[in-house]
Amino acid sequence: MKKLLALLLVGAMSLSMVACGGSTAEAPVEEAPATEEAAAEEAPAEEAATDVAAATEITLWTYPIGNWGDQATLDTLLGDFEANTGIKVNVDFLTYADGDDKVNTALEAGTAPDLIMEGPERLVANWGAKGKMVDISDLFDDTDKAEINAAALAACFDGSGAAYEYPLVMTAHCMAINKTVFEAAGAMEYIDEATHTWTTEDFLAAMDKVYAHTGAQVGAVYCVGQGGDQGTRALVNNLYGGTFTTADHTAYTWDDEKNVQALQTLYDMDSVAFDAGIAGGDEIALFYNGTLNVAFCWNIAQQLNPNSANTGENLTANGDEIMFMAFPSENGTDSKLQGGIWGFGIFDNGDAAKIEAAKTFIKYMCDSEKTADAVKAANYFAVRDTAEGADLSTIWADNAVMAEYSVLMPLLGDYYQVTSGWAEARTQWWNMLQQVGAGNDIATVVAEYCGNANAAASAN
Amino acid sequence: MTSPKSGTMSRPRRLVIHETVTSYLFLLPFLLFFVVFVIYPMFMCVYTSFFDATMGREDIFIGFENYKTLFADKVFWIALKNTMVIVLVSVPVTCIFSLWVATVITKMPVAATSAFRCIFYLPVVTGSVAVTMVWKWMYNNYYGIVNYLGTNLGILDKNINWLGDPKYALWCIIIILITTSVGQPIVLYVSALDNVDKSLIEAAAVDGATATQAFWKVKWPQMMPTTLYILVITMINSFQCFALIQLLTQGGPSNSTMTIMFYIYYNAFKLFKYGYGNAMGVVLAIIIAILSAIQFKVAKEK
Repeated sequence: MKKLLALLLVGAMSLSMVACGGSTAEAPVEEAPATEEAAAEEAPAEEAATDVAAATEITLWTYPIGNWGDQATLDTLLGDFEANTGIKVNVDFLTYADGDDKVNTALEAGTAPDLIMEGPERLVANWGAKGKMVDISDLFDDTDKAEINAAALAACFDGSGAAYEYPLVMTAHCMAINKTVFEAAGAMEYIDEATHTWTTEDFLAAMDKVYAHTGAQVGAVYCVGQGGDQGTRALVNNLYGGTFTTADHTAYTWDDEKNVQALQTLYDMDSVAFDAGIAGGDEIALFYNGTLNVAFCWNIAQQLNPNSANTGENLTANGDEIMFMAFPSENGTDSKLQGGIWGFGIFDNGDAAKIEAAKTFIKYMCDSEKTADAVKAANYFAVRDTAEGADLSTIWADNAVMAEYSVLMPLLGDYYQVTSGWAEARTQWWNMLQQVGAGNDIATVVAEYCGNANAAASAN
Repeated sequence: MTSPKSGTMSRPRRLVIHETVTSYLFLLPFLLFFVVFVIYPMFMCVYTSFFDATMGREDIFIGFENYKTLFADKVFWIALKNTMVIVLVSVPVTCIFSLWVATVITKMPVAATSAFRCIFYLPVVTGSVAVTMVWKWMYNNYYGIVNYLGTNLGILDKNINWLGDPKYALWCIIIILITTSVGQPIVLYVSALDNVDKSLIEAAAVDGATATQAFWKVKWPQMMPTTLYILVITMINSFQCFALIQLLTQGGPSNSTMTIMFYIYYNAFKLFKYGYGNAMGVVLAIIIAILSAIQFKVAKEK
């Protein structure tokens, strides 16, 4: 009896193991192509897939891009999409802290989602360049190409003409000041309030005044990691007109003397400290709670909801007024702001039906009369003024903050985040800032770390 | 043909075979789990370390090239040095502190002993992310309690950027590591002290041994297996220190908190250098194995 019981137990345990294995084995039904060649071989099949019936269920992974990271908002958007197309979209939310790792692991395991929402720096320069994305250039007709902002459009294509992202929204990253404190310090005279711009000379003078008024550090060049690094890059590049990459995005140029001069200026400022203990998110929190009086990591989403704290637009925690600003430049009017572009890409999971369904989703969200809803959910600006005849130029007319922020959009600079070796270049940038902050010779460390970034660009 | 004699001989043999088979069948599920999640990844780690492996293309066999690159990589040597500092400081401190606390609290009333065991074990059962975030606030450059107390008590002239200054960052990490590591050793030492044969202690006392002599000559040898276990586990935990680095410093500033574990993660997951990351993993495993073997050898001799 005992033996029988033991054998039954062993059988049950073994079966449970087999059952676990079975479910694991079922997940990667469609294997991703192992090589770029394999992906290329499959391309004709995809092109011929126009006759393929779209799948009825697909998956979307999205980073927290406005309310595209909010379940309730997506329930409405995706519910409408399902009602109109019969395609159900299962959504999973990523964070910027570990989203990349999750996607990379899924790609290697063959369990990547069908759709992903993020920017060209990931979809084009990273996963697209590694052959993991579907070329969706067929989704762009001549009308689309004419309607979509030229910089956003260009960022979605690689050098060979393949498109790995269809853009939905964009914004210009900027900086912010605590206007209440600046006024109390008498520093507003250095700021053009109508255009939200200032010259480098005025910026330095204003920072000195605020520092003299408060007796405390005013701003931080944060550099513990890559979070929010678009702010430090734009700050350094704009002060004296330096550049980050070549115009054709083939090499990194941040070792030019204008950037060295900018770093030296920032290092010498009493009001600014290089802080290797915080990242962009930490800096926003310090600005929001009144510890710092300028933030170099800012954009319209922060202006609408500072520190994501839901305590009111334009205000710090203690009620001070926040004013968004362009980064200072030598003449004050030619600041080049870092662009943020977000849209959708399709992972090449080898399933033509799901790819077709994903393309349907993209056209529905980015190029239809429903696009306005998708744009508003993101809390950014549409990359086009019209989509299939629907007017997108006035969708923020009822929002005074968005309307005012639009003065910065003409300052949108080159989207260079698609330069080869971008992942390593970002790391080199913040490591270099740490070295500058530690008091090392600026020209030497800039040359060394920019050299490392260019080595990575050449290797890719 | 089977004789009646041989038939009676084979019955216990059959029994042994049946029991053996049954035992292995019971072990089989775990064995499968062990092979799939431990042995196979270990093999793949060694195998992949000989390839230039990255995302999006076939792996290229490069022999020992990853290992050559590794030994010429100055960040790897910084990471190795930092890792060794963490191990060499945190392991002895954790063991000595745990032993001291256990010795003190076992002399207390039962309720007090249990209370202290809970207090010291709390960081172990609290989520590592939550613990790390609390420490991050405490170390905060602008409003952290460490700077607040330091400046108000006159110990510090001005705020120190604890996690942002290469001089202090690694030591801050070590302090957190120690506070989160002592819980389990304290509980183990308390149990080990309770299990020491009281009659031997009494006999030693009768023979005129002092409390110190009784501890080192009678209790300590009986606690050696526990000590060995604590040493090995603490050492491995210290080598694998990752979450603290990832959440607090990301290896900086200026690589001052870069450890091998974090450098493996950085190469494999950020730069997609899978082969290179695996080569580092192999080297780390060899170092841990050698140090563990030395610890076992020394403990066995004692």
